[in-house]
Amino acid sequence: MMQLVIFLAVGTGLLVLLLVAIRRQPSHAAGSAGELVTAKRTLESLQLGLLPADLVEQVFGRQDFAYISSIGSNELTDLFMSERKRLALMWIGQIRKQVRALKDFHVSRSRMFTHMSRWREFSIALDFAGLEIRCRVLQLLMRWRGPYAAPNFARRTATTAGRLCSVLDQSLAFLTPGTPARLGSESGADGTTLIG
Amino acid sequence: MIAKAKRADVLAASEDLRRRTLPYTSGSLDRLIYLASMRDYNTGIYVHEGLAARFSPEVACEALADCHRESFQELTSLQLKNLAEQLELYMRSTGTAPGDFLRSWKDLAPYRVAVPLGTDSLLAEFLFSNLKIALAILEHRHSQVLEPTPAA
Repeated sequence: MMQLVIFLAVGTGLLVLLLVAIRRQPSHAAGSAGELVTAKRTLESLQLGLLPADLVEQVFGRQDFAYISSIGSNELTDLFMSERKRLALMWIGQIRKQVRALKDFHVSRSRMFTHMSRWREFSIALDFAGLEIRCRVLQLLMRWRGPYAAPNFARRTATTAGRLCSVLDQSLAFLTPGTPARLGSESGADGTTLIG
Repeated sequence: MIAKAKRADVLAASEDLRRRTLPYTSGSLDRLIYLASMRDYNTGIYVHEGLAARFSPEVACEALADCHRESFQELTSLQLKNLAEQLELYMRSTGTAPGDFLRSWKDLAPYRVAVPLGTDSLLAEFLFSNLKIALAILEHRHSQVLEPTPAA
């Protein structure tokens, strides 16, 4: 009787493990392709929309603040500070959200498509963790002391996120179609030069 | 290949627009509002009959969209001081009384529908926020002009 109970327990355990293993596998190829494209878009949105140095400089630079201060109206200064705080929090919130999405994607899918060394994997994991901490600290600082709480820290966070994006971009490079070089010198039927 | 050849047409149409029409706008904000007004609210398609007659409706639409994105980028790259100047220029070009203009822009925020399609939400929010502050700056200046200066 005891042997039967043990046998059934081991059998049930193996069945549960098998079900868990099945659930962890990608369900179908189309879903994976969709996730790849979404990840590529997230990456582009980060690189083009949130991380350009001029945008970071406009949000965290002090030129606009100096101009507003020179007008000498407390009401205007308060409005400016509250608007910049809202923007700065929105900026860091979006970076955090997109970095998280990229991390989830990297953990679940991206590493299956590229052959990364264990050291590289470890370095990326550290970058993700560091960025998450930086974003959280920056959010707290901005909530507490306003948009100009730590402008250099914000710039460095943007640089770190940019660096991580370019590493991840390399692992998704196969999604960017290449253009054959010979197209550059072709001409259309009407004589127009085709830009490659 | 057809798409690439068309692109050359779009570049020519954009250049035509920059040379013949856009120089008559008072500044980059005026350009943004003008180009946004060329867009059908229901379809998102830009319509410009003169340009469509010279090129084609599709090419004209793409050229207008390109110029619209360009003027949006130009505005978002401006410092607050310059944006306030652009807003003042635009206000004067409309011929509306400053009080009426400032009130309706504050209440209706028409600039919210003037951004190109597919604009990053943070960039759009950045421009809206700066325009809100620029409006407050103009209102402040306007109220100072209206207030009688105390006699010395």
